[in-house]
Amino acid sequence: MKKLFFHVLFASIIMLLLSSCTEEQDFSQIDDLSVTPTLASGIFYLESDEETINSAGGFGTFYSQTINFDAFNETYVAERLLEGVIIYEIENTTSKRADIRIEFLDESGNPLYQEAFTVEANPSETFTREVTYGPGGLNLSILTNTSSLRVTGRNLGDATSVSSHPEPKISLSSAAEFIFRLK
Amino acid sequence: MRGFLKTILIAVFGISSIHAQNRQLLYDFNEIPQALMLNPGMKTSQRWHVGVPMISGLFFQASTSGVTVNDLFADDGVDFTTKVQERVLDVMTRRDDFGSTSQIEGFNIGFRGKNRPDDYYSFGMYGEMDIISYWPKDLALLAFEGNGGSNIGRSFDLGDLSLRGEMVNVFHFGINRKVNNTLTIGARAKLYSSIFQFQSIKNSGSFRTVQGQDNIYNSIIVADMQLQTSGVKGFYDIVDEDTGTTRKDLTSLFTERVLLGGNLGLGFDAGFTHQLNPQTTITGSILDVGFIYNSNDVWNYTLEGTASTEGITVFLPEDIDNVNNDLWQDLVDEIDEALPHGENQSSYISLRPIKAYGSIRYDFGEGGRSWSENCGCAINTGDGANSDFYRNSVGGQLYMIKRPRGIQAALTGFYQKRVGRGLSLKTTYTVDKYSLTNIGLGLNLQAGPINFYVLGDNLLGYGNIADSHYASLQFGFNIISWNDN
Repeated sequence: MKKLFFHVLFASIIMLLLSSCTEEQDFSQIDDLSVTPTLASGIFYLESDEETINSAGGFGTFYSQTINFDAFNETYVAERLLEGVIIYEIENTTSKRADIRIEFLDESGNPLYQEAFTVEANPSETFTREVTYGPGGLNLSILTNTSSLRVTGRNLGDATSVSSHPEPKISLSSAAEFIFRLK
Repeated sequence: MRGFLKTILIAVFGISSIHAQNRQLLYDFNEIPQALMLNPGMKTSQRWHVGVPMISGLFFQASTSGVTVNDLFADDGVDFTTKVQERVLDVMTRRDDFGSTSQIEGFNIGFRGKNRPDDYYSFGMYGEMDIISYWPKDLALLAFEGNGGSNIGRSFDLGDLSLRGEMVNVFHFGINRKVNNTLTIGARAKLYSSIFQFQSIKNSGSFRTVQGQDNIYNSIIVADMQLQTSGVKGFYDIVDEDTGTTRKDLTSLFTERVLLGGNLGLGFDAGFTHQLNPQTTITGSILDVGFIYNSNDVWNYTLEGTASTEGITVFLPEDIDNVNNDLWQDLVDEIDEALPHGENQSSYISLRPIKAYGSIRYDFGEGGRSWSENCGCAINTGDGANSDFYRNSVGGQLYMIKRPRGIQAALTGFYQKRVGRGLSLKTTYTVDKYSLTNIGLGLNLQAGPINFYVLGDNLLGYGNIADSHYASLQFGFNIISWNDN
């Protein structure tokens, strides 16, 4: 019985050692790994009360500013940008029809593209626009070459009327959701 | 980025070399002198032993509680990204870990006191590398999926990052004393000479993107993170300089650190063996209760603070006079200021991973005189009150180790068989977080004064080692004497 036990034990050890092996592994597969996260962030928010719009006068420009914006033209970002959308939302509780314009400017200040919004006075719903970049949409080079944004807000109404809303204002929100290739 | 990712993945899967550290096959294997390293209060019978330098104790262990090498790298025709998604991202949790431990004994010597034959002294030196990394689930999801799409509103836990590693050379001296016929106790003092150490174990914070108060999205980060390193930058700088003497410089620095030229620490082990009756024995030990004071070549990296952003914001009329067109850069600077990341060289204390063993053993099957009957030391032999007198032992062992995220335990059942004077075999079945099918086999062979042992774990995994969650192998040669000559 004892002999049998050890024969079995030794045989097991030898078989295990002889049979120890590993299936073929292909470590080069790691080169095929694709990492493409979707990153989301707020971009720009402009808010103005009605008094400020009135103070610009009828059909006057109540805001105009050129803002340095390098979010997409940083080399690391620009090289990895695949596709995505920029979302714009506009709310207007003033009594004014208004025009808001965002121009994408290159390093020399030349316009590459512009997004223009005309919003009616006190609309019942939030105005939303989603602009696609990349396949099926606008060229990504618009973003990757953008160095600054020129934002202009213009009153398309009179300079005296006041909304009955308790806090009348106009606001532009914007955010980006883009897919990047990290690997 | 590609290189970085490759490095991370290779590090995570390649270094899988320690983690569990459980050496259940060696524990209480009295015939092997190295078992003293796991229980300084082990019953000893030999007059003296000398380990063959550099090959008296070699131990390699790798473990992964989640994905295996084979899961990802098998040549199975499945798209690699799909495999990562389905076998890693979808199933692994923050409690999963990868680990690796290796130990190489430089020398190990033991001898019985001339004037106090009840005492057995042992000393030596061994090097150990120990690395553990928990799966940083939320950070991995953030990298692979991003904060957009369906992850809007999700809070990514920055505390998921938890890793620790070190390479240390240990000088030790132990005393093992037979108190009486039923009790043996022992303790071992340790002097640690650190080669390098790193840890990032107390991280907290979160990153989330939610609907903004004003703008569409608001991204919020709260971070309290730190990576502490000692001894790493010295090696990095040598490699980075890439001079013609890189190899020589690395060897020189390594040797210096091995021989107490780096950061030092102190620790101890303690243990006992108590015979409840002639056939039943309980044992226990606690190992590596110690610390290393890291003050040389220290570089710590920190990220601490709170920041939130909705992008560039302009409120009229408040900002009507603000003609600054660097609003974007201002925003970046503002976040940077709110979330300072820095470096410092503050000293820190790193604790060794404390381990504890306990066992109960029942001996049976009288086999005549023991293999150590001639030791001449009157220690632990004779009267049938000695397991060596019995041919068989059966019992259970409990193992615990303190890890960054709590205590990990393993339960082992074992059977040991002694054959004649020269051969002893032990088989174990162990249950832990890595495997429910871990069967190990150990063999100790004594040919005259020459002792050889080999212990292999999780043998069922040997059919395809790459698919194993756990593997360990240890072996070594010693010269043992039970005689006066």
